[in-house]
Amino acid sequence: MYRGKEGQWAFLLHRLSGVAIALYLIIHVLDISLVMYGPDGPFNTFLAFYHQWPFRIGLVLVMAGVVYHALNGLRIIIMDFSEWGIRYQRAMWYGVLVLTTAIGIPVLVKVIPEIFGGV
Amino acid sequence: MAVKPKTLSEARAVYSTNSELAWWVFMRISGLFLIFLVFGHMFFNNIQINVADVDYAYVAKRFSKSWVKIYDSFLLGFAMLHGINGLRYSLEDYIQRPGRRFWAKVVLFTVAAVIFVLGVMTLWAFSFEEMGDAVRGLQHSN
Ligand code: HEM
Repeated sequence: MYRGKEGQWAFLLHRLSGVAIALYLIIHVLDISLVMYGPDGPFNTFLAFYHQWPFRIGLVLVMAGVVYHALNGLRIIIMDFSEWGIRYQRAMWYGVLVLTTAIGIPVLVKVIPEIFGGV
Repeated sequence: MAVKPKTLSEARAVYSTNSELAWWVFMRISGLFLIFLVFGHMFFNNIQINVADVDYAYVAKRFSKSWVKIYDSFLLGFAMLHGINGLRYSLEDYIQRPGRRFWAKVVLFTVAAVIFVLGVMTLWAFSFEEMGDAVRGLQHSN
């Protein structure tokens, strides 16, 4: 199997996360737009459906995708506008992964009990 | 767009048109704005509260505040332009045949236009103040 260097994984993850959150954005605007039907419209029923645990796990993944994409996007911007950024792009990618995990852990600690504890 | 430029001067040299260069720059500027807008959005709606508490009353109360409507308008505008342009890059990389590429983009831009209009209507076409107050009055009587 062909395996690229870090840069190719960085690109693949950036593209996958970008496409995933863009598709999520489309669905998200659609569901929030249901508030236009007012308090007796379908909004609450719909949201209750989304609040089931498989969707909430999905939402955690979307948020992780956003954090990775944002931090890696910053890495791309630094690479594009400085020599320094190209020299240290690999180190910065590992930095992106570490920071994404570091932000992810407290989020999981807060959100997992909400999902499974019925809080 | 098979090979991506890595510096501003390379981007200048690579892109045949000014509009492609402008999109390249826009992806970076909107990205910087989106860091703050999107992180703030996730913090307000997923961390400060339990998302499972989101219901009509919660959204109506948010949309009754002008700062939320303005904040969310910027979020919608930047995220849609950045996200749809990013989807266009991906389509152009994977769909080679000119006819298919054309129709794929027609579908993408049509969906984008509908979603954008729906988003703007949701934020600005209704007064959630009255509805929000009415609902809160019913449910919690405070
Ligand atoms: C949060 C801050 C964000 C930053 C810093 C950021 C940064 C970037 C950058 C630098 C690119 C590369 C553009 C190019 O290749 O010329 C990109 C691509 C992309 N972004 Fe973002 N972005 C952010 C948020 C978002 C959001 C919210 C969405 C979805 C709505 C999104 C969807 C995409 C897509 C689909 C691509 C194309 C991927 C590709 O060409 O491989 N991004 N982003």
